Parts: sequence; C-alpha cells; structure tokens
Amino acid sequence: MSKYVIETKNLTKQYGTQKSVADLNIHVKQGRIYGLLGRNGAGKTTTMKMLLGLTQPTSGEVTIWGQPLRTNEKKLLPRIGYLIESPGFYPNLTATENLRIFATLRGVPSRNAIKNALDLVGLPYKDKKLFSQYSLGMKQRLAIALAIMHDPELLILDEPINGLDPIGIAEVRSFIRDLCTERGKTILISSHILSEIALLADDIGIIDHGALLEEESLAELEAKSSRHIRFTVSSTTQAARILERNFHETQFTIQDDYKMRLHNLGIPVGEIVTAFVENGLTVSEAYVCEESLEDYFKRVTGGEGIA
Amino acid sequence: MNVNLFLLIAFCIALLFILFLVTKLRRVRGQLSIIEEALEDIKSGNLNRRMLTKKNDMTRKICYGINDIAMNSQTQLIKQKQSEQAYKRLMTSISHDVKTPLASLVGYLEAIECKIVAGEEKDEYVHVAFEKADYLKHFVENLFEWVKLDSGEQIFHFEVLDLNELSRNIIVDWISVLENSNFDYVFDIPETEYLMRIDANAYSRILNNLLQNALIHSKGSKISFHIFENDLQAKITMTDNGKGISPDHLPHIFERMYQCDQSRSAGGNGLGLSIVKELVAAHKGTITVDSTPDRGTTFTLLLPKSL
Repeated sequence: MSKYVIETKNLTKQYGTQKSVADLNIHVKQGRIYGLLGRNGAGKTTTMKMLLGLTQPTSGEVTIWGQPLRTNEKKLLPRIGYLIESPGFYPNLTATENLRIFATLRGVPSRNAIKNALDLVGLPYKDKKLFSQYSLGMKQRLAIALAIMHDPELLILDEPINGLDPIGIAEVRSFIRDLCTERGKTILISSHILSEIALLADDIGIIDHGALLEEESLAELEAKSSRHIRFTVSSTTQAARILERNFHETQFTIQDDYKMRLHNLGIPVGEIVTAFVENGLTVSEAYVCEESLEDYFKRVTGGEGIA
Repeated sequence: MNVNLFLLIAFCIALLFILFLVTKLRRVRGQLSIIEEALEDIKSGNLNRRMLTKKNDMTRKICYGINDIAMNSQTQLIKQKQSEQAYKRLMTSISHDVKTPLASLVGYLEAIECKIVAGEEKDEYVHVAFEKADYLKHFVENLFEWVKLDSGEQIFHFEVLDLNELSRNIIVDWISVLENSNFDYVFDIPETEYLMRIDANAYSRILNNLLQNALIHSKGSKISFHIFENDLQAKITMTDNGKGISPDHLPHIFERMYQCDQSRSAGGNGLGLSIVKELVAAHKGTITVDSTPDRGTTFTLLLPKSL
C-alpha cells in the first residue's frame, strides 16, 4: 500500500490562459487531517474537484490509495465522502427522506447508517421538517451527514464550516477531530481561515494563486513559530540558577546539560548573556524565535496574509 | 396447434426465467467480487474499509456483518493506540517536569559547593534548594499515587463515618493557610450527623487537592465550600472567585498531566485533579466543573450515601 492516501503529481488546471491550479503536488497521509489553506480563489475547490474526478485536470495525475484515479473512479470514489458546494437535496422532502434516496442509490454499510449520520451532525432522525424550511446551518449539517453516511475512509470537505454559527463551528470542528482520532479516518479539509486550520489540521498545505507554497505538519510549523529564546551554554544548571536569582524568571525548560529554552521574551537577550558571562558561563548560542503563525503565513503568501 | 402454442409460451417463460436468473447471478457475482476485494483490503490491515450495499442485495447481511467486525476491531485498535500515545506523552512530560526543577536545584547546590555564595545568600540558596527538592519529592509521590490508582493497585479502607465531622476536621487545617494567602472563606457544613461509607484518607486527599488547586491556580480572593445532603447522596461544592478556566481547557482538566499554563511556571504538576477524579470514582461518585473566565470556578462533587 502506498504511503499516502492522496498524492498528486504536477496537477494543473488551466482555463484559457489562466492556470487556476499549477503544478500542485500534495501529499495526504493516512489517518491525519490535511488542511488546505488559501485565500478565496486560490484554487482550493478546483483542486478538490479534480481529486474527485468532478473536473478533468489539464495535466498531471491524481493517485488515491496508490492507484491512479483515472480509470479507477468506480472502485475508488465510493470509498470517499465529500462535501463540495451544496449537494442537490429535494426541497419538498425531509432530511431523512433525502438521505434515504442517496442510500438507495449509493448503498450503505449498516442498517442504521442514516440515523447514525444524522445523530453525528446533531439533526433529528425522522423529523417532519422539510429541507426547504431548514436554516443555512442545518442544510450544511445535512450536507455533512450525507458525506459521512457511508462511513468512508477518506473525507474531502470544502469549507465545511461555511454558514455555521460559532457554536456550530465548534461542534463540527470537534466531530471532524473525532472522526480522525476515534475512527481513524483520513480527512482533507479546505479553509480560508488560518485559525480554523491551525485548530484542526495535522498537516497544512498553503496554496496561493494555484500553487502550493508550503506543505508541513502543524507541529513543525508551531515549533518554528513558537516564541522563545534558545540558549546553548556551558552549564544549564548554573544558567537556571542565574535566571531565577537575577531575573526572577522561571519560565524556561532545560533540554540537556547545554541546551535550554526561555519562554519569556520580555527580558533583553543582551542582559541575560551578560549575566551568564559575568557568572563564568560560556554562551555559544542565543537565538530569538518570535515569529507567530500569522506572521509566518504572511511571509509565505507574500505579505498580504490570510484572514 | 393448441399444444404448439402452449409449448411456445412455456418455452418463452422458461427463457425469461433463465434470463432473470442469469442477470441475478451476474449481479451476485459482481457483489461477491467487490466483497472479495474489500476483504483482502481489510485483511491487509485497512480496518476503515466498508462494503456498501443496497436494499435488495442478496449479500446485504454478509456486508453488514463484515462491516460490523471491521468497525469493532478498528475501535479497539484505536483505543489501544491512544493509550500507547497517552503513555508516551506521560513519559515526555514527566521527564520535563523532573528535568527542569532538578537542573535548577543542582545549579543552586553547585553554587554553594563551589563557594560562589557565602553568608546570608548561601543560607537563602540552601532554602531555595530545599524547596525545590521538596517540590520534586511531592511530584514523585503524586506520580506514584496516581500510577497506583490508575493500575487499580490502591487498596481502600471504607468505613462508616460522619461526612460532616470529617470535612470539618480537614477544613480546620486549611484556615490558617487561607488566611496567610489572603483568601476569604465561607464554609457551610451542616451541624447534623451524616453517616456514609467513605475512605477517610481518600476523602481528605480529594478536599486537600481541590483546595490546593484553588489556592495556587485560581488567583482569586475567596473560597466557599458547601455541603448539601439528602437521603441518597451528598453534594459538595467548592467555588472560587478567581480567573476561571477557559472553555478550551475545561474539558481536559481532569486528564493526567494536563496543565492549562503551557509554560508550567505556576507550580503544580498536572496530577492533582486526575488523582481527585480517580478517588471520587472509587467512591462511586462524580465530580464536575463549571467555570466562567474572570468570574470563577465551581467544582461539584456528588457522593452516594450507600456504596
């Protein structure tokens, strides 16, 4: 089996002379949440449509579970759940009836599939309310229920929190998280909201003007963007004592005999280094890391930021 | 003539019937090949794989059954993985929680040993070193207590005791501590006798940990403690007026090694509340928490009268 659930090779979609997706290489790992982050019009939806065979790529290749998507659609697509734009629900039927139609067409993995899906998104089963009477948030929930009804191994969700209120966003976020951690699903999710992706995703791909600018795990990004001062000194035990005595500082962690991190950036580094040297320590490195996640994205996307 | 017509009709019916059977057979064969492929996938370890089946499929029950098996195995596997991960996290955070205070303790002792400090300052260093050693001692004790509880090795001694009397005895020791820390307090414990089966040591540990917690972390100025009793259970509430716990942290505070303060500078070791939770569970009780940021936090303890 391939290492990646989804892998694309130089995926490109060209409309006329405009490339809406250009040479995209993304790698979605098994059992993780991959967040595709980009501003409006960056090419997120087009990418997802190509992953599902809803749009043919101009060039490049999509591989899912190690098999090329083209020619294997019939085998691969039933194992994927997706939410792209709004699915076509009948306005004059209830939520349960709408799902039943899809269940008949696509098949389901268990007897209670419809009820389970509705429970998961917090909609009532066998409710009398018609789809046309649903609020935007409820319609969005139903669309998510449809995406998960057949218990797919891979979920592709395009801006799943659109139209939800803050409580709804928190709920959807937590159940997406649960689908991944409690059920081992692989999830690809797109958003233009940095904080949303930072809360949810394990791996992040930043896409801008159709090109992938960066692909990294959140842990790596956070390590890069955490605010701290890194010291390499001749003795961390003495350094700890000096920080406590001279600066009344306790927010540090000792890594080994020579390396430590200070989490408070309030004290000028020069003063600390001077104090260390005056007390007979050798300081071979003092490095300030203070780029926030937001700063980092701004830099990567060329200054305009993603908000 | 009549016979011929009859034969022709019979032949046509037979032909239709055979055609029907052949199509049915082909359908079932198609389904079987799908099942075979999915089974192969499940066998090779992909427990997320589901077989989708439609209402009239003959293989429906088999598919449901296999899906159930895969889903249950998946759930168990994930639980196992989660506990492994939790254990790893525990080890990492223990190593951190011990390393940093130990390093700074060594720093102070080195300074004394190498005669960097003298006189009054030296005495102060000894005092600081002692405090740090004490913290480590408590940490290790707590850790062992927690491990003992977690592995079910703790032996409880349940006796029929007066809850009110017991609570008063525990609280009395706290009054001077609270006064020294400039805390106002309200203790409302009924004068009557309330007999229930309880482990006195465990119960005092519960109250001590909760009070200690409020004292160190709440940054408030008032603690109120109430006991309400009826025929079935005792309800104990402890409220502070401190900074509260943010909704992000609140669901996790009873988890081992969870600390709201990421820099871990406030003292405490992330074990107190998880010990409380285990001890309460041993009494077949429940503990819940309610908190409003900047308004305060309430812990509610329910203990059944008869175990």
